Amino acid sequence: MTIRGLILVIVSALGASDLAAQDVAARLAGRVPVDVARAVEAIATDAAAQGLPVGPLIQKAIEGGAKGVPGDRVITAVRTLAGRLKQARDAVHGGGLTAASPDVVEAGADALNVGLLVRHVSDLTRVSRAPFDPAVTLRVAATLTALGIPPEQAARVVEDVIGSGGTPADVSGLPAEVQADLARGATPGQAVERLDRAGQGDGHRGGGAPPPPPPTGGRDKKPHDPTHKP
Amino acid sequence: MTNGYHPLVKSVLDGELPVEALPPELRAEGEEALRLLAALDRTPVTLSPALDERVMAAVRRHAASPARRAWRWLNTSRDLEVRLRVRRWTVWSGALAAAAAGIVVLLARGAAPVPNRAPTVTIRRGAPESVFVRFVLYAPSARQVAVAGTFNQWDRNAAPLVPAGASGVWTTTLALPVGQHQYAFVVDGATWVVDPTAPAIDDGFGHRNSLVAVTVRGARTL
Amino acid sequence: MGFAGDVTDGEVVRAVLGGDAERYAVLVRRYRDRYARYATRLLGSRDAAEDAVQDALVRAYDRLADCREPDKFAGWLFLILRNRCYAERRRRHGTTQPLDARADEIATEERPDGRLEQAEQMAALDASLDRLTPEQREVFVLKHMEGLAYEEIAGLTGATVPSLKMRMHRAYDRLRDLMREHL
Repeated sequence: MTIRGLILVIVSALGASDLAAQDVAARLAGRVPVDVARAVEAIATDAAAQGLPVGPLIQKAIEGGAKGVPGDRVITAVRTLAGRLKQARDAVHGGGLTAASPDVVEAGADALNVGLLVRHVSDLTRVSRAPFDPAVTLRVAATLTALGIPPEQAARVVEDVIGSGGTPADVSGLPAEVQADLARGATPGQAVERLDRAGQGDGHRGGGAPPPPPPTGGRDKKPHDPTHKP
Repeated sequence: MTNGYHPLVKSVLDGELPVEALPPELRAEGEEALRLLAALDRTPVTLSPALDERVMAAVRRHAASPARRAWRWLNTSRDLEVRLRVRRWTVWSGALAAAAAGIVVLLARGAAPVPNRAPTVTIRRGAPESVFVRFVLYAPSARQVAVAGTFNQWDRNAAPLVPAGASGVWTTTLALPVGQHQYAFVVDGATWVVDPTAPAIDDGFGHRNSLVAVTVRGARTL
Repeated sequence: MGFAGDVTDGEVVRAVLGGDAERYAVLVRRYRDRYARYATRLLGSRDAAEDAVQDALVRAYDRLADCREPDKFAGWLFLILRNRCYAERRRRHGTTQPLDARADEIATEERPDGRLEQAEQMAALDASLDRLTPEQREVFVLKHMEGLAYEEIAGLTGATVPSLKMRMHRAYDRLRDLMREHL
C-alpha cells in the first residue's frame, strides 16, 4: 500500500467530526496563524459534536484574521460565539422547535448577540409557526434591537405583528419602517410608539389586557384608525 | 365514552366511499355518521350591509394618506445609492436616513449637505438564489476602498470599489446569495468603516459590522 | 374567479395597484360573505366574524402588493382572515363566547326547515363543534361547510393532507361522542 493509500484509509476511518475539523483547517489555512487555527478547530469539533453549526465559527475566525485581530482575541471571540450558538439552540428548542436548522440557530445567536434574552428567542420561535420562518423572525427582532429599540420592545413588536394577523412580509418589513422613521428624526422609542399606534388601528392591539369578547347583540364597531400604518 | 367510527365509516364521511359500499355490519354505523353530517347547519352567514362602506372608507383613507404615497414611492423599483461620507479616517455618523428600498440621505457635520438625490442599492436578479447589490461609499480623500464581509470571506481585496468620476463617490456591484450578510468597508487597506446607515452588530472584536439581508425581492435592511 | 363575464380578481388587483383604489370595492363585494361562515364558526359570533372580515379586507388592501398571484386573491385573502381569526382567539386566551349566547345567535338565522328536532340537532352539533380543537374545527368547517377537498384545504392552510385527515378523523370520533344522545 502506498503512503497515499494509507492516508486515505486513515482518513476514511475518521469520524465525521474529524473530517469537519480537517475542513476547518483547510478553510483557515493562510488566514489565521497556525496556533489560532488549531484552537478554532478544537472549538469547531466540539461544536459539531453537539450538533451546532460550524460555519459561523469559521467565518468569525476568518473575520478576525482579516481584521488583524490578535490571535488570543480571535480564539476568545470564536469560543464566545460557540457558547452563544449553544444557548441559541437551547432557546429555540425551548420554543418548541426541536429540529432547528443551522440558519435558525445562527439567527438565534445573532439575536442574543444584540441583547435579546433567551426567553425572547424562545418566545419568538414559539410564535413563528408556518408561514412565519423563525430565522426571519429572530433576525427581524435582532435588527430592530440593533437599530436602538430595547430588546423587550423589539421582541414584543414582532410578536404583536404575528399575533394580530400580520403576514411574513409585515414582519420582514418592520426594520425598514423603523429605519424610515429614524431617518425622519424619530427616536427608536418614537418609532416603536408609531408601530404600536398603527397596530391599534384595527382596534385590538395595544398594551394591557385583551378586550372582552364582543357582545352578542347589536353592532359596536368603530371605524378604522386613520393612523393605521401603510 | 363512545367508540370512535370505523375507518371505513370515516372514509364515507370523507366522501371517499359510498355508504352502500360498507359491509352490512357497518351499514348502521355509516348511516348514523351521515345523520351527524346532516345535522350540520350550513346556513350561509350574511354580514352587515354596512361592512362594504366601512371597508371602503378605510381604503380611501389609506389610499390618500401621505405615508401611503411615500410608502408606495419607496417600494417602487428604482435605483438607490447607499452613501457614506468619510472625513479622513474617522467614521462619521450624522443624521441617518433609510427606507425600505434603501434610500440613504446623509448630512455631514460641519460640511455642506449631501445633495438630496435618491441614493440607491440597485437590485437586479443574478443567478438563481443571488441578487446584484450595489454598494456606494462617499470617501473623497480615500485612495482605495473595498467592501468585505461574510459573502467574500472578509477578503479586503476581493471587492474593490471604483471611483465614480471625480465626485468622491466609490461604487461596486456584487452578486450576493440570498441570506443575511455582515460587511464593512475597508478604506485605504487598513481602516474598517461600518455603514452608519445600516443596523450594526457587535463583531466580537470590539468593533461593529453592518447588516444587510438579501431576499428574492432584493437587498433590504433586515 | 368571479362570475362568468365579470372582471377577474387579477384584473381588479392590478387596477387597484395601479392606483384605482375604488375598484377594490369589487373584491369587497365579491368576498365579504365568502368566508363569513368560516369566521363565525371559528370565532363563535357573527359580530366577531364581521370584525375579522372587515379587518382582513382592509389589511389585504394595505398589503395588496404582496399578493403574488393576483388571480388567486381569494386564497390569499383567506390566509389573512385565518391569521386574524387565530390571533383573535389567542387574544381571548382560547376562550369563546358562552355557548348559550352563541347558540341563541345561530338560532336566529332563518332555517329552511322549522322542525324542532332538526333544530335541536343543529344546535347540539354547533355546540359540539365548539368543543373540538381549533385545528379540528377548522378542517371540519372547511370540508363539510365550505365544501373544500383535502388538497384545497392543504393548499390554504399549509398542512399536509395526511395531517388534515388525522385531525378530521379525531373530530369525527369526538363529535360522535358528543352527539351520542342526538343521533
